[in-house]
Amino acid sequence: MGGVEDESEPASKRMKLSSRVLRGLANGSSRTEPAAGSSLGLMARPLPIEGDEEVIGSKGVIKRVEFVRLIAKALYSLGYEKSGARLEEESGIPLQSSVVNLFTQQISDGLWDESVVTLHKIGLSDENLVKSASFLILEQKFLELLDQEKAMDALKTLRTEITPLCIKNSRVRELSSCIISPSSCGLLNQNKRNSARARSRSELLEELQKLLPPAVIIPERRLEHLVEQALVLQTDACMLHNSIDMEMSLYTDHQCGKEHIPCRTLQILQSHNDEVWLVQFSHNGKYLASASNDRSAIIWEVDENGSVSLKHKLTGHQKPISSVCWSPDDRQLLTCGVGETVRRWDVSSGECLRVYEKVGHGLISCAWFPDGKWICYGVSDRSICMCDLEGKEIECWKGQRTLSISDLEITSDGKQIISICRETAILLLDREAKYERMIEENQTITSFSLSKDNRYLLVNLLNQEIHLWDIKGDFRLVAKYKGLKRSRFVIRSCFGGLKQAFVASGSEDSQVYIWHKGSGELIEPLPGHSGAVNCVSWNPANHHMLASASDDRTIRIWGLNELNTRHKGARPNGVHYCNGNGTS
Amino acid sequence: MDVDPRQYEQVTINEDDIHSVVLSYLVHNCFKETVESLTTCTGMKQPASCCEDMEKRKRIFHFAAEGNALKAIDLTEELAPDLLKENTDLHFNLLTLHFVELVCSKSCTEALEFAQSKLAPFGKEYVKKLEDFMALLAYEEPEKSPMFHLVSPDYRQSVADSLNRAILANANQPSHSTLERLIKQIVVVRQLLSQEHGKDTFLPFSLRDFLKS
Repeated sequence: MGGVEDESEPASKRMKLSSRVLRGLANGSSRTEPAAGSSLGLMARPLPIEGDEEVIGSKGVIKRVEFVRLIAKALYSLGYEKSGARLEEESGIPLQSSVVNLFTQQISDGLWDESVVTLHKIGLSDENLVKSASFLILEQKFLELLDQEKAMDALKTLRTEITPLCIKNSRVRELSSCIISPSSCGLLNQNKRNSARARSRSELLEELQKLLPPAVIIPERRLEHLVEQALVLQTDACMLHNSIDMEMSLYTDHQCGKEHIPCRTLQILQSHNDEVWLVQFSHNGKYLASASNDRSAIIWEVDENGSVSLKHKLTGHQKPISSVCWSPDDRQLLTCGVGETVRRWDVSSGECLRVYEKVGHGLISCAWFPDGKWICYGVSDRSICMCDLEGKEIECWKGQRTLSISDLEITSDGKQIISICRETAILLLDREAKYERMIEENQTITSFSLSKDNRYLLVNLLNQEIHLWDIKGDFRLVAKYKGLKRSRFVIRSCFGGLKQAFVASGSEDSQVYIWHKGSGELIEPLPGHSGAVNCVSWNPANHHMLASASDDRTIRIWGLNELNTRHKGARPNGVHYCNGNGTS
Repeated sequence: MDVDPRQYEQVTINEDDIHSVVLSYLVHNCFKETVESLTTCTGMKQPASCCEDMEKRKRIFHFAAEGNALKAIDLTEELAPDLLKENTDLHFNLLTLHFVELVCSKSCTEALEFAQSKLAPFGKEYVKKLEDFMALLAYEEPEKSPMFHLVSPDYRQSVADSLNRAILANANQPSHSTLERLIKQIVVVRQLLSQEHGKDTFLPFSLRDFLKS
């Protein structure tokens, strides 16, 4: 039958249920349960509406009495008093027993002594519960008497009614100090205006409701809570959830389709003359940086329609560029020529502001510190150095900290520096604590990527797997992503999408791969490039935009599949080619 | 077990020294008549602050020890006017004695008013102590409350003692009697000795046992 996995008709299961309750067959669905023999058999079965069945629902786990009481409670809290009362009457299931009703009424009216008596009549088996509830009520009585300036009456209540309960001695102590000084009333007084000591009676009632068993008094907003729980679970289970303003409807289970994942090439950028090795969006998503074997880097601008155009071509390096890094404010860009120098560029003018080099050595990677004042680079002698913007060296970590081909990343609190230090290990160096930790893999590591919340590290391995590590606290391997092809080159992957819920990577089979981070499911390989895809970057500001860099010398910009009329200027169904002169 | 008598038999003690030790104890505790008979018998000089002052101090001490703090305070004010102003801790403690009296006699209203008017003004540093006392009000039987030690005679005694010491100090007299100081020193010395000997079977020095032996 396949009714469950069939995404094209998710409502069929729902309709089967509703058909039973509504006493009518839904659209001539041939998927009715065979148990009854024929579709007419369903009608012949006694319908459970006026029956006394204790359980309802297809799984038989919902108790009728509870269900009806929740609905009645919800009706009352929505303000539909008459409907609530009518439901109680018609179903014969009272929301609360009459004793409890009397109790809540007495609390609201401030008839403390009477309410304590009624409390005992409710029939709670737990003595301590009765005492705790009595304590709360008498405490309220005490504090209200104090507010009315009847100190002696309050004291009498304390001595003769509260203390003999023999619980909460420290609270008794606080209450007795309260007679003299209002400020020592403790927690109750936190959000009170001026000097009132007692809280409101409705707050007391809520507190009592939490204390008493839910079967006696149903907690407020219980039904809403259950529904929200279901919605949250649906969202978590949705593997293609990539848009913020998704409206959740109660009518059907939430399930995004692939229309929210970028999977169509929108633009092809052809300004490089050789293999493009890197792409990276700026933090604000307005720019894209690309770096190539042709020894140049390009800064592209992303306009508000999402189309990308060339802004500056950055030449000057004598070697191919192995790493790029945006400054925290996106105004500057660092590029690193392989085994050569690091250059700092101004984004708006395209000017090279400074060249960093280390005499006798080549630099291999670069990164910004989160405050934008210092930069960090890996050196060919395997050390990592930190210097200020003028090039003055501040600190240097010698020894085997990095490799000749390595990424370098710094956590957003500026405390940890991450690089590949050995073939199979990634180093996390805590700058302040002078403390080092390592992630060990049993395969050679080719590249890695840090998540925005500094919690996860995505590690690309020689054996074509991508591993996800949780680096908060103890290191834990959390997930593996498989499917991509890699044999000769360094392939890079990244996090992306709404809440960075996705992982994207390049591959040597010329496709872009996207997985759902949480479940590890491969969502889609995206064909289009004609050479190995070396690097992918997901726009942090626009979850529907992806960029990929390939050996075929192009960069592709990917977007959503369908014509999205929300975007200004709907684009035609073709693909835009960009030669550096704006759209063609 | 005692130290070998041969170790200290040679030490000579002046009779007069013994007399003055005993005398200082008597003076400290205001045993006026005993002081008089001792000085007569031994031919010692009567100490300077005899008679009147001792008599006054004795009365004050007794009032405090009985719990009649207000009277004790009045008399103290007469005897040494600025004493209580300078010793706020002592002043507070004396007032609490009165408060405890009121609580024990179940005069809750008065106790409450007294606390509000006299104790609360002492301010922030005394809030915690005040809370301790206020908690007594919550119990119909304060002796059974968690703060029972505050209604005990021991507490009254300790407040009375500190008042006594304060008055003596104010009159430039030693606030601890010589006898007391000597005994305290003995205990410490003996304990150090027993530790030095390091014998596991050697019990720590107990004054009580020594006195009994």
